[in-house]
Amino acid sequence: MIGVEGDLSANETVGLPHISIHGLTHEYGKGAPRVTALSDIDFDIHEGDFVSIIGPSGCGKTTLLRIVGGLLTPTHGAVRIDGASPDEARRQRLFGAVFQDAALLPWRTAAENVRLSIELNGDDRKGDVNDLLRTVGLDGFHDSYPYQLSGGMKQRVALARALATRPRILLMDEPFGSLDEITRTDMGYELLRIWESRPTTVLFVTHSIAEAVMLSDRVVVLSPRPGEIVDIINIELPRPRTQYVEESQEFGEYMVLVRGLLKGARHEPVAV
Amino acid sequence: MSLLRSKPAQEDAMPADSPSSHGQHFTNLSRYVRRALFPIITLGAVGVLWEVAVRVSGVAEYLVPTPSAVWSRLSGDLGYFLFHGLITLYESLGGFALGTLVAVIAAGVMAHSRLFERTVYPIALLIKVTPIVAIAPLFVIWFGFGSFPKMMIAALITFFPVMVNTFIGLRSVNPTTLDFFRLLDAGEAQVLIKLRVPGALPYVFAAFRIAVPLSVIGAVVGEWFTGDRGLGSVIIVAHHNIDMPTLFSAIAVLACIGLGLTGITALIEQRVLFWHDSQQSGPAL
Repeated sequence: MIGVEGDLSANETVGLPHISIHGLTHEYGKGAPRVTALSDIDFDIHEGDFVSIIGPSGCGKTTLLRIVGGLLTPTHGAVRIDGASPDEARRQRLFGAVFQDAALLPWRTAAENVRLSIELNGDDRKGDVNDLLRTVGLDGFHDSYPYQLSGGMKQRVALARALATRPRILLMDEPFGSLDEITRTDMGYELLRIWESRPTTVLFVTHSIAEAVMLSDRVVVLSPRPGEIVDIINIELPRPRTQYVEESQEFGEYMVLVRGLLKGARHEPVAV
Repeated sequence: MSLLRSKPAQEDAMPADSPSSHGQHFTNLSRYVRRALFPIITLGAVGVLWEVAVRVSGVAEYLVPTPSAVWSRLSGDLGYFLFHGLITLYESLGGFALGTLVAVIAAGVMAHSRLFERTVYPIALLIKVTPIVAIAPLFVIWFGFGSFPKMMIAALITFFPVMVNTFIGLRSVNPTTLDFFRLLDAGEAQVLIKLRVPGALPYVFAAFRIAVPLSVIGAVVGEWFTGDRGLGSVIIVAHHNIDMPTLFSAIAVLACIGLGLTGITALIEQRVLFWHDSQQSGPAL
């Protein structure tokens, strides 16, 4: 927790949004060749919670995230964010996002990429960019272009870019999915450190059980297509989560529990 | 933010796994020299062989001139060739600029409106598949003498590749990046200026590589039909007089114009697209 407390501003005391997802079903395609991506999803995300969604490939995790962000209109059901629709929440600029693809603008430097968020939000807070890059551990890389950065560094820039608008809700779609194991674990710790210092509601899509258990307050386990909720696990591990937590017996038990739920959802015998 | 920026040379900010930019200038230069060396030697050898073959066989000059005869014609009347060469260059560049301007505007509107795309694209395709040589006399009748009809022909031949590539470039946006823009409630204008336009530049430059030499063809074809000035008309007159040294000199000057324009395009591309994957494996020229 070095140098991040300074990023907290007085208006952080404003309550964080409560997301309620109700009766959500989404089908792709019109007419006969319909694919049901999500089926009857119901759950709430409390203020400031870190919620992970885990499930096999193609179970509609990303679809769910895009619906919450208002990028996709569900076939049935609704998402309310403090009573407002995702579109309204987007217009209120509540969201920040990090995707598996860092999706940086290759013609902009790291600093200019972070500044992009601020530009798009019509808000000019240039001083923040340096702090943000320091927060994600990229001090000294302000003027580097994406082609000069490694995969992990690009994700760090993407994270800084997402944080630049001080989002109330952070949508993360397998943000560390393309990184190697070591970098991935480091990024997880860093994300927790940042999250603990600037309260944000996080919706985190992953296919890594360890990552989900390590980071989250709650883990939503989805079944294969059509994605249905198998179970929602409260992760009651102490915070701050450290390496000791990760090596604890409870951590292992949560891993086994989630793995079992994922296997059970595939209608295969549970091996514990 | 400026798109026009030289490659940054900052060793301290370079991750271990990225190629070092140390001494990039030097390696670039020596790479150009090395690349040019073998073709120049080969060309020289062909020239010598040509000279010897013509002299030994005693072929008449009105069929095949010796390189030395061409050279003495060219160097002996450099002002003449320079004058006509500059006119052809002026017409090519003017036509290229005009064609590019119209193409970029058309591509922008097409990217914005499917209706316009369905209307304009087939017409543009029709213009493209019609041989330019067939349209050239028409333009000369319509627009008369002087540089304007030639520019129009060069513009017409430039238009299609630039329009198609710009259009594809404007449409080819990383969907994840677009999601990010939309999540931050970015407006259409912001998406266009901050995402689509810079993202289209690699496509536009790919079109320029084709369109720049094409514009020279357009200018020369136009000059064939009016024969007042420019290298195209020099070629026609020399052809009528069976003046081979002049004909070859004009060809040589045209080759130099083509080479020069292509080189300048590649250099500009390198400066503008330093961030693009295509530039990471060395210069393309």
